[in-house]
Amino acid sequence: MSGEVILNVENLNKAFGGLQATDNVSYEMMTGELSAIIGPNGAGKSTFFNLITGYHAVDSGKVFFKDRDITNWPPHKITRLGIARAFQVSNIYPRLTTYENVRQATLAQQRRTLNFFTPANRLAKKETMQLLEITGLSQQANMISGNLSQGDKKRLELAIALGSKPELVFLDEPTAGMSGEETHETMELVKRLNREIGLTILFTEHDMSVVFGYARRLTVLHQGAVIAEGTPEEVRDNEEAQRVYLGEEA
Amino acid sequence: MEILTKRYWWLGLVFIGALVLPLVVGEFWVHVAIEILILGLFAVSFNMIFGNMGQLSFGHAAYYGVGAYATGLLMVRASVPLPICLAASMVAAGICALILGYFCVRLTGIYFAILTLAFGQLLYYIIFQWYSFTRGDDGLQGIIPPGALFSATYYYYFTLFIVTGALIAMWYVNESPFGYTMRAIRENADRTRFIGINVRRYMLINFVVAGMFAGRNWHQSGIPVFMTVIGGPLGFFGPMIGSIIYTFLMAFVTGFTEYWPLTIGLVIMFVVLFLPGGVLGLVEQKMKVFRSRDLETRGDRSAETGSS
Repeated sequence: MSGEVILNVENLNKAFGGLQATDNVSYEMMTGELSAIIGPNGAGKSTFFNLITGYHAVDSGKVFFKDRDITNWPPHKITRLGIARAFQVSNIYPRLTTYENVRQATLAQQRRTLNFFTPANRLAKKETMQLLEITGLSQQANMISGNLSQGDKKRLELAIALGSKPELVFLDEPTAGMSGEETHETMELVKRLNREIGLTILFTEHDMSVVFGYARRLTVLHQGAVIAEGTPEEVRDNEEAQRVYLGEEA
Repeated sequence: MEILTKRYWWLGLVFIGALVLPLVVGEFWVHVAIEILILGLFAVSFNMIFGNMGQLSFGHAAYYGVGAYATGLLMVRASVPLPICLAASMVAAGICALILGYFCVRLTGIYFAILTLAFGQLLYYIIFQWYSFTRGDDGLQGIIPPGALFSATYYYYFTLFIVTGALIAMWYVNESPFGYTMRAIRENADRTRFIGINVRRYMLINFVVAGMFAGRNWHQSGIPVFMTVIGGPLGFFGPMIGSIIYTFLMAFVTGFTEYWPLTIGLVIMFVVLFLPGGVLGLVEQKMKVFRSRDLETRGDRSAETGSS
């Protein structure tokens, strides 16, 4: 399956007032990639995800998913087509249990949400338990999700995204707020999902050791524009990338 | 059913109590009970929008009204039998909700509330001005229920039957994937879009379903709101409990004072300030404290005796 273009973004632009949040960005992803987008705060990483997944309308440019023009499609249609996302600030159902959170995504994926008469607790059990298990949340299944630790909330985000059975996943800082141990576990899971089930994954991350350790291709955004792209080594050696981003960190 | 039998055994007791009620109380209280049932059903259906979808609908009385007028007009003008009229009232209320909902679900929060209020008022004036068809504020004369329903007791059982059936149906909807999807939309509409759900369409469907269950008094748009606030919006039976308290209180208070609106206003203030989860919320909280105490005593008696 790998080797085919899964995502193709052409000359994408988005301004908020006078701020050019996305500046003529073109981007291509092959099926089976595990790549990262980096850049300082406000570089336009989240906006980029928001434009592709239909959260914001684009000013100009095109987004293609498997050769299909999905520019400005509503989020629910894009999700059904096979693109899921986990948000930067955990975006869960805080008054429902962890189990119910994941089950909701699974029920939606199984097109069962218009079922009015079967109690929900009889449906999608196996799939939900499986997702909780691979994301390490089985123990917390019956906890009210708003009471989970920050790290567990991020894992729940990931479990919800996987519940949509996507082909392409956007993870916006998947390890934010996690301890070193948790970060490692989560990124190993991301790697396994990519290798074992061939999920195409694009993530953003602040922690450079995570980025260089896991991403096979990096794209550097600065003030909404792509300033460098390549393997981690190439980006590390890129002067402009060093100047605007890596340099600041050091 | 499992959950129903395990956690809600007390409902069986309530139902048996409801069955024997007309045998033990006078006709006045039977009428009060009928009122409780009808308004309770109305409030539970209102809560499908308020509690589950998280939106405050002031127009809910419109469906109640449209349903009532549909039944009334069919009986008076076309002499249609009652069961068909009741089915027709649900359809009429549903269609009305579909039209109103089409516009209302585009908005949320305060804007949703205001638009539903505006539509409710619009319908109110149509009904009261369209004299030739609805008889306006003279009301519909000559609605003759089937002979048996003249008796308060029979009317009570008839209402109990209909309301129980509707409550069971709404319970199932509440526990279904659709019910959970509505809670998901209340909790986080954005996330729900990103799991592949067309949020606006689901809100509209919910609006219509809730409207159908509501589908009979006008300028009473506040009543289901009051009942829900008193009973508690987050539990399925909250509005029903609210209906019992509200109707009893009204029957009792209006017996010796004309300041009913003042009284209910004070009650609502008290509930909002001191019981944000309503009566049901209070009961659940007490139960939780009770249960956790129970666990503590079982788990660690020495610690408890030590501390006390």
